[in-house]
Amino acid sequence: MVVAAILTASIVFSTTNPTSTTRSRLVIATTTSTVDSGLLDYLKPYFDKRFDADMTWLYLGTGQAIAVASRGDADILLVHDREKEDAFLASGNGTHRATVMYNDFVIIGPANDPANIRGAGGAVEAFKRIAEAGRSGKTLFVSRGDNSGTHALEMKIWSAAGLDPRERGWYMEAGQGMSSTIRISSEKQAYTLSDRGTWVKLKSALGEALRLQILFEGDKTLLNPYGLILLNPVKYPKINSELAEKFFLFMVSKEGQRLIESYRVAGEQIFFPAFGKAEDIGLPSEEEEVRYWIKRLSENGLEPPPWVKQR
Amino acid sequence: MGKAEVEKKGGANHLAGWEEVFYGLVKAVELIFSGDPDVVQITILSLRVSGLATLIGGALGIPLGALVALRTFRGKTLVVSVINTLMGLPPVLVGLVYYILLSSTGPLGFLRLLYTPEAMILAQLTMVLPIAAGVTISSVSTIDPKLREVAVSLGANPLQETAILLWEARVGLLTALVVGFGAAISEVGAIMIVGGNLLGYTRALTTAIVLLTNQGEFVEAIALGIILLTLAFLVNAILTLLQMRSRSSLFAQIYTREPRLKW
Repeated sequence: MVVAAILTASIVFSTTNPTSTTRSRLVIATTTSTVDSGLLDYLKPYFDKRFDADMTWLYLGTGQAIAVASRGDADILLVHDREKEDAFLASGNGTHRATVMYNDFVIIGPANDPANIRGAGGAVEAFKRIAEAGRSGKTLFVSRGDNSGTHALEMKIWSAAGLDPRERGWYMEAGQGMSSTIRISSEKQAYTLSDRGTWVKLKSALGEALRLQILFEGDKTLLNPYGLILLNPVKYPKINSELAEKFFLFMVSKEGQRLIESYRVAGEQIFFPAFGKAEDIGLPSEEEEVRYWIKRLSENGLEPPPWVKQR
Repeated sequence: MGKAEVEKKGGANHLAGWEEVFYGLVKAVELIFSGDPDVVQITILSLRVSGLATLIGGALGIPLGALVALRTFRGKTLVVSVINTLMGLPPVLVGLVYYILLSSTGPLGFLRLLYTPEAMILAQLTMVLPIAAGVTISSVSTIDPKLREVAVSLGANPLQETAILLWEARVGLLTALVVGFGAAISEVGAIMIVGGNLLGYTRALTTAIVLLTNQGEFVEAIALGIILLTLAFLVNAILTLLQMRSRSSLFAQIYTREPRLKW
């Protein structure tokens, strides 16, 4: 009887499953920051409508996103860890990469700033001051500790500061996404490194309940560029490479770049369009990729953003 | 009521502590009665995945449990211990193993099951199966051995004997399904990994709660949690009702009434 009831229920439910099966599904392996900031939710209706697609994403850290993509379990990769991205391309897993947008990282911490990083000359110096205050028991630092892009940058800054904070009493590894890490930092009144997007979104959602502030920002080390990577269709024949290319085109087109620029959280812009602007923001040239994508855009009847038109 | 407070986009009103739980409750009622399509879809997916996982896991686990309980064989204690251990299978481990197996470059990659509701069902039924088997073993084992003797002495063949014992243990078997369903519907570790929490496709109540919590949308997260609890309560209430009805034991009938058995 119970079995019959569950069976009936299951059949009823399975036939009323509203998921459209006719639309082509795109699976983006991406980092928590593009999801937590709400950007992908914002872009989805525009992309879905233009290409009659169903855009979905896997909410992962950059490390896991790259691992999942390299097994062929996603159609396209949107992450922010240049070294791992280059390694991914070098191993033949990906065919094209372009920096599509950027924002920056900020160091946040308790308002009373026990490590006095407000006046630090750079991110490396700020980290040194946090370590010093940590050693004398005045503060804590919460790390993502999840092999994500943010975590990778954090480790890079620690090593530039000549420090290995792991397994120190004042250093905690959350092993979670950016939002969770920020919330843990707030509870512990600790410092942490966050991308601006997630910080602004979480701050607007939690307000005063989040007892942290931006204490250091603006250093060039803290630049956070996001790379979009097309997977190698020869290596991964089962992925939806056609729709993945459409997503790439959408992101580097005038429309996509404008949408990224117009996205606001609590009135603040959190992502800046970067296609064709690599050198302007201090990154290595991407001239070859930019030329390739301009060609593909015009072949697909799409417009490039105005700032790359003149090339 | 409270809509302005619940709507947090403006960032004007922020909630703390019990207020969030309260507005979560308000929001849950609102979501249930407004029939928000996303919430309806997520709820249906959870019910479909966990319902089918319980059904299939039960259909395999209950006979397995009965077999183990009623037969005497070498290594029976070991088998029972293994089943009991597997009753506490960590969902995240199940998820990881299925991810590796179903990954497109994995041994079962050709099935194209990763990030589908079917993969979620597979992972959950793997957890339900040992629970169903374990609870069946313990409830069949506690039946008075006299019933078996009576049945055999009255000429029951092995199949009839098994049927009688399972009927006698039916309250326990219902419990197996209740416990299995409870474990499945509340589980997040496995379906997050093999389902991928894809919007409109594999997003279930528990995985949506994780995402909303990470995004700081606590009121919505609590609301989905309340829907989840309500579902679990309803399923349990139905099964408990069935259990109460079937309490009048066959064994008791044999001893208290005249023997009216047909075989």
